[in-house]
Amino acid sequence: MNILLETLVYGAIAALVSGTVLPLLYRSKNTRKTAFGLSLISSILLLVFAGTVLYTGKEPVFPAIGFLPGLDFTLAADRLSAGFILLIAAVVPGVSIYSVEYVEHAKSEDGKNLQAALTNLFILAMLMVVLAGNMVGFLIFWEIMSLSSLLLVLHNYSSEENKKAGFFYFVMTNISTAFLFLGFISLFRLTGSTEFGPLEYAAGELTLPFLSLFVGFGVKAGLVPFHKWLPYAHPAAPSSVSALMSGVMLKVAVYGFLRFLLSISTPELWWGVLILTAGSLSALFGVIYALKENDIKRLLAYSSIENIGIIFTGIGLYVIFGVEGLETLALLSLVGACFHSFNHALFKSLLFLCAGSVVHATGTRKIEALGGLVKSMPATSALFMIGSVSIAALPPTNGFAGELLLYQAFFQSFAVTDPLLTVFLIIALSSFALTGALAAALFVKLFGITCLAMPRSEKSRLAEEVRKPMLIGPAVPAAFCILGGLFSKQLLSLAGWKIEFPDLLLLGFLLGLIYAALFVLIRTRTKETNPSRISETWRCGIPTVAPYMEYSSAGFSEPLVMIFKSVYRTKIVHRAEYLDRQESLVKNGNVEIRLVRFFEEYLYIPPARAIEGFSKYVSKLQNGKLDSYVLYAFLAVIVLTIATGGFV
Amino acid sequence: MNTSFLLFALLNPLFALLAAPLYMALIRKVKAYAQWRKGPRLFQVYYDLKKLMQKEAVYSPTSSWVMRFTPYLNLSTLLVCSLFVPLIFVPEPAGGLGNIIVFLYLLALERFFTALGGLDAGSAFGGMGSSRSMSLAAVIEPTMVVSFAALAFVLKSLNLHRMFALTAGTVLPISPTLVLVSISLFIILIVETGRLPVDNPATHLELTMINEAMILEQTGKNLALLELAHALKQFLLMGILINTILPVGLSTEIDAGKIAVSALLFLLKAGLLAVIIGLFESSVAKMRLFRLPAFYVMAFFFSALTILIEVFA
Repeated sequence: MNILLETLVYGAIAALVSGTVLPLLYRSKNTRKTAFGLSLISSILLLVFAGTVLYTGKEPVFPAIGFLPGLDFTLAADRLSAGFILLIAAVVPGVSIYSVEYVEHAKSEDGKNLQAALTNLFILAMLMVVLAGNMVGFLIFWEIMSLSSLLLVLHNYSSEENKKAGFFYFVMTNISTAFLFLGFISLFRLTGSTEFGPLEYAAGELTLPFLSLFVGFGVKAGLVPFHKWLPYAHPAAPSSVSALMSGVMLKVAVYGFLRFLLSISTPELWWGVLILTAGSLSALFGVIYALKENDIKRLLAYSSIENIGIIFTGIGLYVIFGVEGLETLALLSLVGACFHSFNHALFKSLLFLCAGSVVHATGTRKIEALGGLVKSMPATSALFMIGSVSIAALPPTNGFAGELLLYQAFFQSFAVTDPLLTVFLIIALSSFALTGALAAALFVKLFGITCLAMPRSEKSRLAEEVRKPMLIGPAVPAAFCILGGLFSKQLLSLAGWKIEFPDLLLLGFLLGLIYAALFVLIRTRTKETNPSRISETWRCGIPTVAPYMEYSSAGFSEPLVMIFKSVYRTKIVHRAEYLDRQESLVKNGNVEIRLVRFFEEYLYIPPARAIEGFSKYVSKLQNGKLDSYVLYAFLAVIVLTIATGGFV
Repeated sequence: MNTSFLLFALLNPLFALLAAPLYMALIRKVKAYAQWRKGPRLFQVYYDLKKLMQKEAVYSPTSSWVMRFTPYLNLSTLLVCSLFVPLIFVPEPAGGLGNIIVFLYLLALERFFTALGGLDAGSAFGGMGSSRSMSLAAVIEPTMVVSFAALAFVLKSLNLHRMFALTAGTVLPISPTLVLVSISLFIILIVETGRLPVDNPATHLELTMINEAMILEQTGKNLALLELAHALKQFLLMGILINTILPVGLSTEIDAGKIAVSALLFLLKAGLLAVIIGLFESSVAKMRLFRLPAFYVMAFFFSALTILIEVFA
């Protein structure tokens, strides 16, 4: 059994490594095809591997690889990592098939090959992070994951927008790594080992590791207020990479956080409250910002922030119920968080792939300029519809199944005895419900404005359906979205969780049955008397209807923007240049009214300015004279000797 | 799947389907009397539906399959919903049908597609209706969830069948807090069915349009299906409210006589509720769109209060 599992994992790793190396060696379309074929093969191997581990509950540990003296590098898999490997293996096939065609749209031959190689490397790094048996391997592959995705974000490096996105992403991902280092080092000081757990320490000793890991993983996962890199990086990256970043990489951060939390025997209540608060706020802010957004990929990025918020809500509930000693509810929330991670990976990659097709076919990311795609791109629109229904958490899709688990946990919180905690949970529940309903409104807007009614621009009118690989690619996660929802009860029990859960298969079957019955009944009964007719409907007497008279995306979200107007704050900025010193003759200038980028302007920029000022001061030390450098070295030696007690 | 549920699955949707349009008419009648008019006949809604069924459907040239798909989906969804709310007797729950969260999200599914259908024809009215409906739904959703959570808190179950199996057989609500929840449920009923002061079902004026605007482009049999779905939704929400506040006579056994009495009593209780809704609607004015969240907060307050009382008591 173990040999089989080892073969599967090493086979997958070998496939991904060769998928990385091949496109770097040979430049041709076939090599790129092979590379994506290899990642597809690896995902199938991983699917079998993860399925076996989850089903049998075997926890294989692979032989250690000596890395540096005292630092081993091991691979291991348990049920948690198997769950996240399953997630990777579910997303990769769609992305690989899609990329075969999509990557050919890149401008240069080198660019195409690099994209193929880096995509494979990125997948490999994410897989290895999840497989890492100790902190050393985790951090090494974490960095490879960050850097390979950074290079992919920068794929179109000549554009100003991409440069800014890349820089922002680079800074944020380094902050994340810095906090992870801090967290892992403080854990190492406590335990003296690089293993993840179990951690049986008094909770007070774990406060520092907890906080730094929470921030570190939170930045990477895109929790509010560390979420700002997502809306920059996701639109800049190629759509297939956005699908991977949003679908999988954010979940790798969730995995890391869960790996830490699950190894602790005694978490504290305030941790759960903190996680749940951060989760609820992320969910709410993510969707509220998304409602205002008119760039299709940026909207999806904000929606990822929302979904990460939902996942952290589940994790927070898990900690709270765990501390309260309500085992079943804790399990329900934990499974809910994991299941929602899995589901979000599927429907968000589906949506990003569809968005990529739309952007490719129309050449614009602006929702306002789209419309009518349901006629010109019927297959893509149908897939887009499946993604929208799933992400709006409507039954019987998988998006609903995940949220249902969390709702069940919330609704049964009458078992909590602490009244203050109950009040907190009611507030969290209402914010959770608000998020869900806003997400539904958001995706009515996204699907309705982009795909329905009349095309709103020439670009959209001339759109053509994309080629086959770009349809089959998203069709894979779409199928998983529907099947994952219908068979959610069966899947959960197969994976070994005994949870009371409504049978969505039955629900879906009933829906389908009644729909078919109604359809047949009405069609056969009324065929002769009422054929349907296509004709102009009532337009209030206006003779022709132009696309600009349709409801626009901004118009659609206007009522909600009004209701939540306290969240969107506008700022008037005016800049002027003067001809004279007295500033009386204006040369030129501009005034703009825009949304306050709250977190950016109040949270990030002040420390960035402070650091910049400090750096300017420090840079004076670097004066290019050899003797002053010798002086620095000398002073450093003295300070170190005193500090380490060398003179004593 | 047990026999009691199978019988329920056959009878309950049929009962709801047949009785639901009657209460649309009854409310109209009450409103008419309140305005010193006679109003339409009680069976007018049935005649209207029959007439619409025989009419041809006209589609706008810009519309797509979404518009043709929506009416069928809506009615199927509401028919599935009618398996969730016990009206004539309470069966043994089966397969998770009756889960209160699933019920809530089936209503969301219906709303989602109605809103898409509204956008599909490309007219400004449909878009306006969709936009308003989704916005208001977003604001009422937390209230609905918290009210249902309050029901779950009081009756210690997530399943509507289990909840009402507990209240059935009692004359009055088994807990005084249920009275508080009922106020929230009443407001939800008003909001969800698009009645005054939220929306005016009697007019087609742009200022008031929410629900009407979304289905303005629908014609013929499609419109009939949508109207029927709307009536069913109202009837089912009335059912939840009635079973909470006045459970008297709801049967838990499968016995022809008891089921008949139970059904008859339900018709009477629903009639009483319809009169109350009609009078309520006659006595309030339409609220401005952006004042509505304040109206919802009232419902939210009562549900939250229920939970707090349950927790602290």
